[in-house]
Amino acid sequence: MIVKTLTVTNKLGVHARPAGMIVDITGPAKSDVSIIFDGSKANAKSILNVMMLAIPLGSEVKFEVDGEDEELVVQKLEQLFHDNFNEEAG
Amino acid sequence: MTTSTKKQAKGSSSSKTSKKPLRIVLVGVPASPGFAMGKVFPITNREISVVEETIPESRVTTEEQLFLKAVSKTAKEIGQIKEISETRTGVHDSLIFATHLMILQDPGLVNGVLEMVKKKHKTARWSVHVVLGNYIEKFEKINSPAMRDKAADLRDLYNRLMTALDDSGPVLEDVALEQGVVLAAHEIMPSMLIAIKPGQVSALVMDTGGRTSHVAILARSLQIPAVSGLRNVAAQVNAGDTIIVDGTGGMVIVNPDEEDIRKFHERQEVFERQRRELFTMRRLEPMTRDGKYITLHANIELPSEASKVTDFGATGIGLYRSEFLFFQKDAPTEDEQQAAYGEILETMSPCPVTIRTLDAGGDKLVAGLTAVNEANPFMGWRSIRVCLSREDIFCTQLRALLRANKSGNLRILLPMISGLNELRKAKAYIKRCADELKAEGAQVGNIKIGAMIEVPAAVMLVDLLAKEVDFFSIGTNDLIQFTLAVDRTNELITEMFQPHHPAILHMINRVVMAAHREGIPVAVCGEMSADPMSVLLLVGLGVDELSMTPWSVMATKKIIRSINYEDVRESALTVLQMDDSDNVNEYMHKKYAQTITDLGISSFVGQVDGK
Repeated sequence: MIVKTLTVTNKLGVHARPAGMIVDITGPAKSDVSIIFDGSKANAKSILNVMMLAIPLGSEVKFEVDGEDEELVVQKLEQLFHDNFNEEAG
Repeated sequence: MTTSTKKQAKGSSSSKTSKKPLRIVLVGVPASPGFAMGKVFPITNREISVVEETIPESRVTTEEQLFLKAVSKTAKEIGQIKEISETRTGVHDSLIFATHLMILQDPGLVNGVLEMVKKKHKTARWSVHVVLGNYIEKFEKINSPAMRDKAADLRDLYNRLMTALDDSGPVLEDVALEQGVVLAAHEIMPSMLIAIKPGQVSALVMDTGGRTSHVAILARSLQIPAVSGLRNVAAQVNAGDTIIVDGTGGMVIVNPDEEDIRKFHERQEVFERQRRELFTMRRLEPMTRDGKYITLHANIELPSEASKVTDFGATGIGLYRSEFLFFQKDAPTEDEQQAAYGEILETMSPCPVTIRTLDAGGDKLVAGLTAVNEANPFMGWRSIRVCLSREDIFCTQLRALLRANKSGNLRILLPMISGLNELRKAKAYIKRCADELKAEGAQVGNIKIGAMIEVPAAVMLVDLLAKEVDFFSIGTNDLIQFTLAVDRTNELITEMFQPHHPAILHMINRVVMAAHREGIPVAVCGEMSADPMSVLLLVGLGVDELSMTPWSVMATKKIIRSINYEDVRESALTVLQMDDSDNVNEYMHKKYAQTITDLGISSFVGQVDGK
């Protein structure tokens, strides 16, 4: 299992579209993926769960990825956060 | 358990079918002009009755299959709407449906429902109600306005899923079987309207909404007559009832008698004749009989509307409300905004296009951008105030505007200006963005910068403002609201919202005089510029430009071509001496009602008499 902490750097935080982009990665993955923010842990394959966390700009988000493609999943998530979800940086 | 997902409308078909059809007349808000008669087609966001029901083990598989079938049916339906929306209004507007599709396949939702069916032996309907209902409740409680708005999307999905689970209910695709039906619903969603094929629907009637709701705006641009705000029409009609819709006057007759039908045909004929006549005026100049030219522009809400504007005889865009871009998507990027503005500017070139910078707040909440718990939102953190304190958002918009202005026909309109300080700050941002772009090697075309006159303070300082802008645009709705201290959303005092109040007329007069001293034009872009009597007063007061919905342009042109400027000027000066709006209205009505009636534009401007 890989545990990875990423920082949200896009201006609007994880709203509907970024949540969808996260699930685009986690959904088809073979690994189990959890997202942990502000003391809550949720299934990161569920767009509803990810959106409900309402993660704002500047937050640190922890991902727990467990499974055969865990490295690839972490790498893709890292890239996504690094690119600010293709949105403007905050 | 949440009940917020339920729509009212108890009177579904069974209770009434045996009775003789009852003639019902309902009055609502005219949302989109025109006349239509057709069969009622109720839309299924009626009461969704769910009862907790325990099923035997043997039915579990059936219920599971039922649910999965409903999911794929709903996904197919949303996929189709997404496709249509992409071709009709562009990719940005259709993004919302991609999110809907993803939510529909959410493992938490799907597995949650399946588990409830399997382990607790509940029906698929009850399980969806509980599981999705819980999500809706949770989203409603999230401390983020953007996320709370998603609760509405979930309710939309809830209704779609329930409809798909209930095979007996009419769904949208069935409409294809019949032509020219009248959709009746508690609430009609824009997604539904976008999915309608031309000719399928002849009119819309709804319980909710006003003239400025999204659906009303779409109906006008699709040229489908609509009446909203009917309160309980959905509960009072049955599928197949005959209904007459008068979208010009805001009236609906269910199960009309012969006399109603005869009158309807008369009115429809008049409407069609007037429409044909008005279209012949498209290429004529909007000039008074004594030769004063009044510029007529159109207000648009969607970039795609720009291509139709000149067909209606407008010579420019007087108001494009940029906040519509922000409603559709949380934060449009610079490139996305540039594409939208560029589409309008290039379609209209060389005609001028006035684009108002983000005017969020008040009654127009933009997710993530506007404060939610203000005691007085109309006097709160809104409009230019938001822009000046959110430099990032404002500069993104300004850069997009400047980059889109390839042919130099852009006019930037700054809303809610209340003093010189705000104006100068905003202009400094515009200059800074232009300088940055030049430094990056981009070409920056000519622009005109204007101030919206809608705060009384701006009127008091109008002489000074006139020296620092290229044009004024009077926002009558807010100016009336602030000057008369009348909240226009408060139903108790709607009668006090008087456009012809002497205080308002004096203010307009003052703005025009100050502008003309500095040689700059004055535009009026509110509802007032499409009301016949107001048009006469505004022209008489010396307003140079009127901007209105594209439909009203032709009728207004006909009014202008029938009058003498000298005459309306004299009338305007006369009413400026009067002490209350009743006297003003009485004077104008006595002098001009007959003239307006004789013009034969009644189908487009509502009734002139009856004041």
